[in-house]
Formats: sequence, structure tokens, C-alpha cells
Amino acid sequence: MYKLLLSLRYLRTRFIALASIVSVTLGVATLIVVNSVMSGFASEMKDRLHGILADVELASPGLGEIPWPEEHLREIRDEVGDELESMTCLVRVPALITFEFRGRQWTQQVMLLGVDEQTFGAVCEFQPFLLDSARREKLDFMLNDGTYDQRLGDCGWSYRRQKESNRRQVEAIIEMGRRNREATAAVPEDPATASDAPRDVVFLPLPAEVPLVNAAAKPEVASQSPGPITGFDPASQHRPQVRAEDLFNPLRDQHTGIILGVAIANRMLKDPDTGEQSELFLVRPGDDVSITLPTAGDTPQPVIDNCTVVDFYSSNMHEYDSTFAFMPLERLQKIRGMIDPVTGSASVSSIHMRFRPGANLEQLRDRISARFPPEMFPYVIQTWQDTQRPLLSAVEVELTILNILLFLIIAVAGFGILATFFMIVVEKTRDIGILKALGAPSSGVMSIFLGYGLCLGMVGTGVGIGLGLLFVRYINEIADGIQWLTGREVFDPTMYFFSEIPTLISPWMVVWVAVGAVLIAVTASVLPALRAARLRPVEALRYE
Amino acid sequence: MNKLAISRTGKEAGSITRLPRSDGPPLRVARPATALRAVGIHKSYRRKGIEVPVLKGVDLELAEGCFTAIVGKSGSGKSTLLHLLGTLDAPDRGEIWYDQRRIDNLPARARDRLRNQTIGMIFQFYHLLPELTVLENVLVPRMIGLGWWGWFQQKKALTARATELLERVGMTHRLLHRPNQLSGGEMQRTAIARALIAEPSLLLADEPTGNLDEENGQIVLRALLQLCRDEQITLAVVTHDDRIASQADHRIRLVDGRVA
Repeated sequence: MYKLLLSLRYLRTRFIALASIVSVTLGVATLIVVNSVMSGFASEMKDRLHGILADVELASPGLGEIPWPEEHLREIRDEVGDELESMTCLVRVPALITFEFRGRQWTQQVMLLGVDEQTFGAVCEFQPFLLDSARREKLDFMLNDGTYDQRLGDCGWSYRRQKESNRRQVEAIIEMGRRNREATAAVPEDPATASDAPRDVVFLPLPAEVPLVNAAAKPEVASQSPGPITGFDPASQHRPQVRAEDLFNPLRDQHTGIILGVAIANRMLKDPDTGEQSELFLVRPGDDVSITLPTAGDTPQPVIDNCTVVDFYSSNMHEYDSTFAFMPLERLQKIRGMIDPVTGSASVSSIHMRFRPGANLEQLRDRISARFPPEMFPYVIQTWQDTQRPLLSAVEVELTILNILLFLIIAVAGFGILATFFMIVVEKTRDIGILKALGAPSSGVMSIFLGYGLCLGMVGTGVGIGLGLLFVRYINEIADGIQWLTGREVFDPTMYFFSEIPTLISPWMVVWVAVGAVLIAVTASVLPALRAARLRPVEALRYE
Repeated sequence: MNKLAISRTGKEAGSITRLPRSDGPPLRVARPATALRAVGIHKSYRRKGIEVPVLKGVDLELAEGCFTAIVGKSGSGKSTLLHLLGTLDAPDRGEIWYDQRRIDNLPARARDRLRNQTIGMIFQFYHLLPELTVLENVLVPRMIGLGWWGWFQQKKALTARATELLERVGMTHRLLHRPNQLSGGEMQRTAIARALIAEPSLLLADEPTGNLDEENGQIVLRALLQLCRDEQITLAVVTHDDRIASQADHRIRLVDGRVA
């Protein structure tokens, strides 16, 4: 009883104990915060990495093709059908995407993925990252209106029509200018007036049929047909007349839809004075772009196709957002010439599989590999972890090393406790002598100091856990506060995959940290406690 | 040698060594007239490789229930002798017998128990624990002696006894004060109450009034003698004060490490 009483009393009356508690507290809090942020970071990153990657992927190397995908799908279903949840075929091809911004053409390379609208969403986490809320429900490649994310600003059909009508207006004005010039050129020049004196130029009135900018958005404008085709057409007899409704009209029609990674289209801008971030979109949903890509087959040839941007993919993984563009599988197969003209079977680049949660992916991968022996089918068959192995193992190594380093921090706190305790033992030498004179056994004296260490460790750890959890809970607010105080940005969302600092508190981690910290505190008090226990009462009593 | 657990009050006293008797098996005997007997005690300290003899063959007996004063000049080895008698230290040679058992060579645990339950000690510098209140200081020996369970069972009774003891030494008004809020006399009276809480049969006091003025010294001494008489405790007081020695039943004078 006296052990507990004295331990607690020492804890309350020794100011120096507070220093030890604070060092344990800080160590524990740091460990919890860093671990939470790191594992939050790692798990969020894994989710994101896994998102676009299927559980297991069977891909042809490079730009190769997998012919007869239906047969492959059947083979896979035969082999691992019991664990299989869904499969999808993909065409993957590097491409150049060209778009117009401020009157100039910009070209950028992308990895173009042809995806199957029906099955892709079931295999890969794709739709949640789209910026069109309607498309998150059901994947398609049609341009929408009014369902896009606020951050995109003007986009969709209304933007497309506005843009088209603006273009027509500009064209009409240019046309008018041309007519004006012709009209002036038709007047024979009088030599007398052909001086440097300014000439009166007479402009024709503006054409009444030029659609007004705002009126252009109205749907009825969309049905307006362009003027009849005029001029001499020697082949007009031989081809059916095209009705105006069948002509491609940007006010009403779109090309093949394409979904771009948002980082292909936007640039992050930062106000140098206020530090505020804004987004500039070079392309928006509703704009037309052209893509250049190699055909399939023995001698790849470039082909060009027009597409209409219908949506953006924003996973916040910069690597993905700046690389990928998605378009319908059949269209891509068609323009690349991947459809066998005889059989009508279209080849693909890869087959992606999603398995039941908790399935052993390595084992499934090996089973599929056995079904497609590499000697005969030189496919690359790998799980998503295999694909991202370098990044994942880097994060794991980082986490391990960080943990070791941080435990060293607590170990430093432990040495602090050791030093503090030695001081307290020296200071309490006479008390130890008194206790021994009163019949306290050495083990009892030892347990006072071990108990003291335990109390210290527990109080420090308890406060540390509370502090750490609070810190983690309000980490973004704290980051903002530090930013406000120092004027330096703590967490730059453009640098990372995330808009906020991600955190994940694992209860086991907290338990381990707590147990570790208390153990270190107790261990650090063993030596001083032993010393106290070994003191001879007579000498201790004589100590002044 | 038989190892038996006995004590005067019948309390658990751990393994002790009994005096070998020629006339049959060991028996619990009635209280002898001699409570404590020391035979040929030698003790020396080693300082920087030089052996400094302090006690050179001390023989003494403390009579049961009596007040014995051990007097002598400074450095004559009085305090060392008291520490040896109280098993705080072990003699180099010689034997100490208490209540028919040899106590100087007991194992550490048994000596701890003996100090806790049988021998009360009072020091010149009071030696109270500064973190604890007066009441807690008095209760500490029982906290040490009893385990958790025993302590919680007897807490009430012990607190009542401690309060009563403190009342008898005139400390009722100071129960919840810390030692640093007390005067020297009050601290020593608290120490007396602490020495008596475990109902010891032997009380060893090392210059109990050495640090007090005359008036306070008299108060403390009166309290000490009264309590020891009431409870029939054998009392040994080390002192260099002849006025104290004059009140004792027996006097032992130490001169240069020997009984004169």
C-alpha cells in the first residue's frame, strides 16, 4: 500500500517528474500522429492505386494484342470462376491529344484506354472519380448538361452551343468583311481620288440572321439547318442528297465521347500575393479534341479521330490524372483496326479481373498463369500490388523506418526518465533508509520506484494518446493554423494526391504505442530502482 | 537448527533461529528477565582502505520492560551499537539475541519483519517522510507490514489507533499536516507514535532529544517514557544527556568501543 501511496505522492510533488511525463507524452503523441498520417496516406494511396487497377490483370506486353478475348474470358472463368466477381476487356494505347486553347493548338501525350461501358465500372473503381454526377451512376460517353462539378465552371451542352454560336458569329462577321471588301473592290478606282487622302469606306449593314450570343443557347437554334449546299457539284447526281439534319452540327451533335484525366486539362494557378489557388481549364466538357494514335497490326500507321470531351477523371492521383484518357472500347477497336474483318472478333490489350473481397490474389494470379503458360502465351499476368510494387514497398519501408526513429524518441524519453529517477533516488536516499528502518523489504523499495515509473509512463502515455488523437482529429485545422502563423504552406494539395491530410487511426497501433511507451518507462526505472533497493539502511539514514 | 516462526505477540515473524537447548525440544518459554542480549559485538568501518574499529567487544543486556540508557561521548560507538541492536546493520563478530533467538544473522526478509513488527526505532533527526502527512507517517509501518488486503481490512482500526497514539503524544491538532509544517518537538512526537503503531516489544531511540531545546526535550521524553510504561515496552535510549540518563532504570556507559 505504501508503495502506491509513495509513488503517487512522488508523482504529485516532484516537479521533475513532470518533465519525464511531458517527454513521454510528446513521444507518444508524435508516434500516434505520424503513424496515423502515414497509414492514412498509405491506405488512401493504396485505395487510389487499387482503384484504377483491377485485382488481377492479364495484359499483352507492349502494344501487343490479345486476339479472341471471348475465348480468354471463358478460359479464365473456367479456371477461377468460383472466386471471380467480374471481368472487363481493355484496349490500351499511347496517343496524342490535340486541343485548341486561345486560338492555338496544344498537343499532349496520353495513355488512351478503351473501356467497356457495361463492365468497366464493376471491375475498376472508376466512376466515383468522375466529375459528372450523372455519370457516376451509369457510365456512358455522352455529353451532359448541368450535372457537372461546380469547379469546372461553364461546361456541357450549354457551353458547347454557346461556343459554336460564338464561332458562327465570328465567321459571319468575317464573311461580311469579305463581302465589304469585294464591294469596295468592285468600284473602279478614280485616279484623281487615288491619293493618300482617307477614303470613305461604306460597310454593309450587319446580317440580320447572325444568331445572338445568348440566343444561341436556346434549343431551337440547334435544329436550325445550315444553308443549302451551293455551287457546282459534279457528283451530285450520283450520291443521295444529305439532309441538313444528318450533317454534323456541333450545336446538336457530339463526336465520340472521351473522358480526360483532369490534370491533362487543367493547370493549377496560385496567386503570388494571397496564395490562393485557382484552376484554369484548357479544355472543358463540350470541347472537341482530336486524337492521334497508332493502328494495330504489323505496321502501325497514325490515325486521327475527333472526340468530344464529355467528362474529367479526377482521382487526385497526379500520375493517373495526368496520364489517362478513356473512350469507348468498340470505337477504339474500330479506329485502330482491331476488328477482324472476316470473323468480326475484336482483339483487346488486356483483361482485368475483380475477385471476391478477401480472395488470395497471388494464388489466383498463379492459377491463371498456369492456365496461360508463358511459353505459349507471353502475357504479363500480375496483381495490382505487383504493378505498384516499387511505390508500395517504398511506403512500407518508409513507415518502418519512421517507426523505428520515433520509438528512438520514446527511448530518449526513457533515458530522461532514467536520469530523472537517479536524481530522485539520490534525493530520496534518506527516505529509502527510513522505509528500510521501518521494515520495508528491498523488493518493496524497488517496487516504489518501478511503480513510480509505471505511473509516470501511464500518465504520460494517457495524456500522449489523448493529445495525439486530438491532433489527428484536427490535423487539417492545425495545419491551417500553422500556415496562418508562419505564412508557409504546411500541406500543399497540389503536391500530393489528396486535398486534405489523410489520417487513419488503427486501434492496434495505439495499443502498441501505449504498451511500448509504458514498457520503456518501466524499463528505464529498473536501474534506479535496483540502486534504491541495494542501499544499506544505515548509510542511507546517515545521508544528508 | 530448527527454523520456526514465533514472536512475542504471536504474529507471523518469519523464519528465525532458535537457541539450541540441551534440555529437550525448543519450547515457548515465559518472558525472561533479559529481553535483549549482545555478546562480544565487534564492528569496524573501512574508510579508504583503513579499518576503523568502532565497537571492540561490547556485551550488554537490556532488561525486559525497563528503560536502559546507553551513554557515552561522541564517537564512542553508541549509534552504531543501536543500529546493530535494531538489525539495521550486522556486526562483524559477536551475537545478538532477542527473545531467545539470535537476530544478527537472520535473513534479510526476517530482519525486515523484525524491524517492522517487533522493534520500534526513533532517530535524532526524526526521519519522517516529507511527502506524507503526520497520520500517514504514523501508519507507514503498518502499511509496510500488511499487504494490500490486510491493510484495507484493518485500515479503520489502524487509523483509530494512530489517532489515539497521536492524541497521547499531543498531536491531535496536526494530523493532516506535513512534517515541514511541524516543529522539531512535534516531529519527534510523531516519530514516537510511528515507532509504537506496530505494538513493538522493544523501542530503540537514538538521541531522541538531541535536536530539541530543553523544554521540548522534556515533553518528548515524558511522552516516550509514559507510553513505554503503559505498553510495557523495553526501551533503550542512546544519549549523551546525563539528565535523561538519570531517569533510566539501568545505565550502560560506552567508552572507546567497550562497556565501561
